[in-house]
Parts: sequence; structure tokens; C-alpha cells
Amino acid sequence: MTSSLQTTARLALMSAAVATFGATVAAADPIRRIDLITRPQAAQPAEFQFVQLIAQEWRRLGLDVNVRVMPWEQMSDIVWFNRDTWDTTAWQMVGRPERSDPDEIVYNLFHSTTAERGFNFIGYNNPDYDAIVEEQRVTLDPDERRELVRRAQAILAADQPNMMLAHPQSTFAFNQSVWNPESVVEQGGIGIRNTWTFMSLEPAGDQRSIILNSSDNVQAINPLYISGGVDSWITELVWDRLMRIGPDGLPTPWAATGYEWIDDTTITVTLRDGMSWHDGEPVTPEDVKFSFEAAGSGESPMYGPFVTNIESIEIDGMDITFNLIQPSAPFLTASLAKINLIPKHIWEPIIERLADSDENAESIQEDTPIGSGPFRFHSWTANEEIVLNAFADHFNAPKADRWILRIVPNVEAALGMLRSGEINFLADFPGDPSVLQSAAEQDPNLVAVSTVDIGFRYVAFNHRRAPFDDPAFRQALSSTVDRRMIVGAAFRGFAVPSNSVVSPALEFWHNEETGNMEAGLDRARAILEEAGYRLIDGRLHYPEGVSETLQ
Amino acid sequence: MKAITAIGSRLLQTLFVLWAVVTILFLMFRLMPGNPMAAYIDPNFTPEQQDALMARFGLDRPLWEQYFIYLGNLLQGDLGESFFYRTPVTERILALLPNTLILTFSSLIVAYAFGILAGSYLAWKRGSRVEQVAVPVVLTTRAMPEFWLGMILLAVFSFTLGWFPAGGTRPPGAEYDGYWALYTSRDFLVHLTLPVLTLAIYSQGLPLLLMRSNMLDVMKEDFVTMARIKGLSPFTVVIRHAARNALLPVTTSFAIAVGYQIQGNVVVETVFSWPGLGRELVRAVSASDYPLAQGAFLMIAVVVILMNLIADLLYALLDPRVTRE
Repeated sequence: MTSSLQTTARLALMSAAVATFGATVAAADPIRRIDLITRPQAAQPAEFQFVQLIAQEWRRLGLDVNVRVMPWEQMSDIVWFNRDTWDTTAWQMVGRPERSDPDEIVYNLFHSTTAERGFNFIGYNNPDYDAIVEEQRVTLDPDERRELVRRAQAILAADQPNMMLAHPQSTFAFNQSVWNPESVVEQGGIGIRNTWTFMSLEPAGDQRSIILNSSDNVQAINPLYISGGVDSWITELVWDRLMRIGPDGLPTPWAATGYEWIDDTTITVTLRDGMSWHDGEPVTPEDVKFSFEAAGSGESPMYGPFVTNIESIEIDGMDITFNLIQPSAPFLTASLAKINLIPKHIWEPIIERLADSDENAESIQEDTPIGSGPFRFHSWTANEEIVLNAFADHFNAPKADRWILRIVPNVEAALGMLRSGEINFLADFPGDPSVLQSAAEQDPNLVAVSTVDIGFRYVAFNHRRAPFDDPAFRQALSSTVDRRMIVGAAFRGFAVPSNSVVSPALEFWHNEETGNMEAGLDRARAILEEAGYRLIDGRLHYPEGVSETLQ
Repeated sequence: MKAITAIGSRLLQTLFVLWAVVTILFLMFRLMPGNPMAAYIDPNFTPEQQDALMARFGLDRPLWEQYFIYLGNLLQGDLGESFFYRTPVTERILALLPNTLILTFSSLIVAYAFGILAGSYLAWKRGSRVEQVAVPVVLTTRAMPEFWLGMILLAVFSFTLGWFPAGGTRPPGAEYDGYWALYTSRDFLVHLTLPVLTLAIYSQGLPLLLMRSNMLDVMKEDFVTMARIKGLSPFTVVIRHAARNALLPVTTSFAIAVGYQIQGNVVVETVFSWPGLGRELVRAVSASDYPLAQGAFLMIAVVVILMNLIADLLYALLDPRVTRE
């Protein structure tokens, strides 16, 4: 009763206001309560911490901020599958070797075509940006392409589609009484846990087995299925690729001895002589051609996108020529360094059989997976252990004898195991890196190495919902918090502050001009004022004439 | 004849309970927040791939259709294919079930053997200094969280003293000729010790206190007084006469404890990196891997229901009055 009376009164007042001042001065609404989603402290301590800090600063701008804590299952369901229902959320991208090429990040995360159901879940839409990231894809000259990627980063810095926070450091450790520290390779943007390290680790004593840990289970050991993150450690060792991402982050020839661009859409690679599969058969150019065809056969949906640009493949002796549909700058990284080389004599019958079935190659688990990589598969005990043996016939045969992956879901126990010698390489440590660092300081045998990651942490804004469709509003929210404070308080110093999705670890691509973002409440308030937002009774209101569309 | 009818109706009841469990599990996971596709979120994940995956998992069909397909497959012993591992659920569960059963039963046997003996002893020592100290100690062990106890045991016996390994069922890279050779090896026993100890310390309280209070009741009965009057030794009176009668409720509690224990296993399997069904269950639930989660829960439910059935039948055997009434 009272509420309907109030509504009538308000309507009367509003119409009076419109009548008096005309249509140009309409009443402005207060901004509704804003949700900020985070995962629980127990699961994601850094994320939970920075969300609390950010919420606190946003409240000081006059916003009503509601922090919603939920597990990843629920968070992804809302953010990814119900795209018009949330306001802001913490999010993270993890670093992977193939993300050393900026294309995957600058294109898939922000191009308007991926807004509806792809990774542009924030709904960012900027035609100028679209044009630049499309152009960098087809620009083969590295310097020209670099300029485009830098411009893309500058646009993002101005538009602030997300509130970028930091690139965390990955910290891993090993026992230097077991492994010669000089033989450990630090890969830029990835850290010391990488394929290069596993191939080059040199025993310092009698122990010749690399014993490492993972906190998650292994899902599948399958060259045609991109499954869990841990699985990729194994696929990278068991299967070779034509190129590999080198320790410097750039694609380097691997199973190919070299490559040559014939023209913008034609590239020829030369296969290395004398390679063999783990079952003794020789690796032939036909195997290579088949590997790319299998990836594009429809039976391997996750690898499909990396070969769709290939029109045809021709073989001439040991030379393999790829004819592309359109020029592709990331081709070396995204295709040649991505597609696993698989033996035709094993997979051809499987692919043929799958063509008439509902299943695809992702459900094929070979009893003994066969590749040509530096390690060969030996055994797999469910949820406990994977054993690989060194493949002595490989052109870059490992110096260790065995690679033993232990599944250790208890992080504290994993660190204890490293101290007691049950494992000798800590390859996965989701806990606080400072704990690991101090453990290494106490024990002279332990060495911990932190590396700035390609991956990053941010707060995403939902552009589908006002006021986040307004670049000025995003800019203001983003500039409330000093990133150095976030790094110190939430990441305990184990991260670098950042305003670009392209990590400073990728020196060639990173645009350092994005980094000097001014921060502070005064600056945020100035931006808001200039854009017309007003503070009334301590509550932030939309600019005049803008009304709240959501309640 | 009457006994057979009783057993028959008990079996029918069991089947009904199983069907109810299956149905509840099916609905529970689908009504829970979360989406099986979330495990595959990746910058290269296209809408076409999402649709293909939904169709592949059968999630594009209406719920009732999914339910009947699931029931139909279940009747043929097919638990489906795991979304996460892409391999048959049955295969996965059978690989992990032995580890869980060994952990559960060995810890319960240790807990019950100790609990029954110590419980009888405490009843015998009623009112003594021993009882005054022991009962609070037992209550304390009962109140300690398993993960905490597990971490303490790890810190002391594994990381400080180095007597026991910190996780898994075998040393890195060790190989055995089949399951039997593994389970009877010294390596396996060494790895089993700390998890079993954790679970046993946690679960001995129930049989101990139960046994003690039953004994106290039984000791007041006429036949015990009679045995004493006959001049039998206190040991014979306690063990041969009183304990045998006090044991009946403890037997039933064993079966129920199996159910509780499997729940406690989830924690202990994580603390000691034990590759069992409990850990897999948690993983499956968090990845919205419906077939695997349903399969793992079903397997645990089957074990619990079977144990209850066995307890009922055993009770009838131990105490013939149960069937006569």
C-alpha cells in the first residue's frame, strides 16, 4: 500500500521535473548494487584477497559492491554459460608454451566474433580492434606484426575491457644433490618445469630417475586430445612436433631441420633424417602429412582449429610443403609447434574405424602410446604414477633414465617429499610460493626458481550490462587500485603488476607503454566526474539522462 | 521356510533401495550448479565444439530420455563413459576400488580388534584409575579431525623420523607381477601403515565405547553371576561368557561403520595421496563428470547396502531370536 503510494508520488514528481526543465534534463538513477565474483579463499587465496581489496576501493567511489564467493563450478556456469547475468568477476589465464605467440590471447579473448559463445565472454566489441587483430594474423613480417600487436595492446589499455592486475610468477624447485643445477633450463614465461629441462637434466649422483609431482590426475595420454594441463607434460615428451617453442619463447625447428616461406601462403619444412617411432618403425614424411590430416579429420575436434587454414600438403623427398588458404603469422607456433607427429601405421586404421562411429579419437587410449619423442611410455597406474623411459635412439636423447610422475594431491606433503627425497623435482606447487622459497633457503640441497608467467589474473567487466558498457566507467574502476599494492598484498610479491594481456616475459611483443597506469581514488573520481557520473548522498549515480536498465 | 521368505523380502528391499539410490544420484548431479563443459573452457573452444561435446555426452537430449538411457545401460552393467577421462567408468572404478576396500577394511579390522579388546578390558576395570584416564583419551581421539591427525602422523613418522613414505601405494617406479604380488609386498604394507593408523585411531572409539557399555550391562546379568559363583577365573568370565554376548551390537555397528569409513576415506586418501575411489569421487563431482560421479557413488552405496544386508543375515545367525519373532 505504502509502496504503491510512493511510486505514484515519485512518478508525479518526475513528470513535473520533465515538464519544468524539458526532455534534456531527466532524472539520473543511482547505480544498482554491483556483484563481484570470486572463488573461495581456501581454493584461491590470492584471488580472494585482491577481490576484497578491490571491492573496498570501489565502495569508496560510492558504489554498492556485493562480493559473491562461489566455487569454480558455479562461477564458470554463471560467467561462461549465462553471459548476461553477472557484473564483474575475477578470472585467470594460465601460461602455456603455445601462448608464447600473442595471437591466441589478443584475438580469441577480445574479437567480437567470439563474444556470443567463445572466450570473449565479457562481450567486448570494438571494430577498430577487430581490424587490427585480424591484420596481425596475416602479417608475416615480424616487425610490422609487432607494431600491430603493440597497437592492439594500446587500444586495450585505453578501453580497459578488463581490469588487468598481474602476471604471477611460477615457482618450482628441485634437489641439486640429485640434478646438476646447470642442466636446468628456465623457459621464458613458463618456468623451469618444461620439456627442455626434462631432456637436459644431468644426474649429479646415482639417482637417474626424474621423480616429480602433480596435484591433479592424468586424464589421458593421447596425441589427438588436448586434455588436462598435466597431460600436456606427457604428450610433449612422448610425441615430437615439427617445431618446438624454445626456451626463448620463439618457435625453433625440432623434427624439422628447417623451414622456408616460399610465398605468403606456402611454407616448406624438411624432415630430420633417421628418426624412428618407439616401436622401431622409421618416421616418414607420409607420417607427418598423415598427422596433420588426422588432426583435421573431424575425429580430433580440439586440434581441428589449428589445421583449418591448411589447404593441401605435398611431399617431395624429405620436404613437406604446406599450402595455406590465407597467410598466417602464428602458423609456426599454433600449427607446426602444436600438432603431434603420430605413426600412420597405428592411427590410420583407428581413424578409418572411427569414421563410421559415434566416438572420436579422444576416447582412444592406447595401451602403449607410440610416439617418436625423447621419452617412451612405460606404465600408467591410475591416479598414482606414470613412468616414461628415456628413448636412447632420439636425436636429443635425455640424460636421465626415467621420468616418473607421482600424483600427490596434498601440497604440503609434496614439499615434504621433496625434502625427504621421495620426489626430486617439485613440478607443481599450488601453495604460497614464499613457503617454498623459505624451504629452499633452509635446505642447501633445494633450489627454488620463480619465473614471470605468460598467464595473468584480472577482473572482467561484463560489457553487456550498464554501466560497464561505458569505457570511462571501466577506466575509473580500473584505476582505483594500485597494482603494486595488489602484488604485495595478494601475491606476496610473487607477481609483476601489469596493464597488458601480453606478458612482459614476451619481451618482443609486450608493449611497455601500457604499464604506467596512474592509479588512485582521486584519479578515478576525476574520470567519473568528467564522464558525468555524480555522487549524491554518498551514492554514485549515472550521468544525467541515463537510467538504470537492470534491477 | 519362514527364514527363506524373510531373506527373500530382505533382498527385494535391497533392490528397491538400489533403484532409489540410482534415481536420486541421477537427479542430484544434474540439479547441482555447474556444467560439464566448464572443464573444457579454453580460448580455442568454439561454439561448434561445445555443441559436438554436448551431443557426444548425450546432454542435448531431454532429462527423462537421459534417465531411461542411463537405467537401460545400467541394467546391462554399463556405467557409461567418463566425460573427464573419456574411458569406461567401470574400468576406472574397478582399478581404484581394491585400494579403497583394502584401506577401509584393514583400518576397520584394526579399529574393531583393538576396540573390542580394550572395551572389554575397561569394563572389567570399571571404577579404576585406568578407566578414569582411558575414557577421556578415547573421546579425544574420536574428536580429532582425520586430516589433522593424518598431517601430524605424516610430520612425525614420515618427514621427521623417516620411518614411512608420505604417499601412494608403492615406491616410485616399482613394479609387481599383478595385484596379489603388490598387496602382499612389504612396500605396500609400509605405504599402507600411516593411512590405516589414521583411520583406525579415528574409528576405534565407537567399538570401544559400545563394547564397554554392553559389557557393563551384560556383567550385571544372572548368568555372569552364576559363572562367578561356579568359581571360574575372572578372565574366563569376561571373555567366554560376557564378551560373547556383548559382541552382538558391535557386529552390526561394523557394517554401518563401513559406510562412515568410506566417507572418511575421501580425506585420508587425499592426505596420503592414496589412489582410491574417494579421491576420484571428489574429482568427478568438481568436474561435473556425471557418469563417473554416479558410478563411484553407486559403488560406495552398493558396498554399504551389501554390508547392511550381511549384518542383518549375520545377526540372524548369531542370535536366532531375530528370525523367530
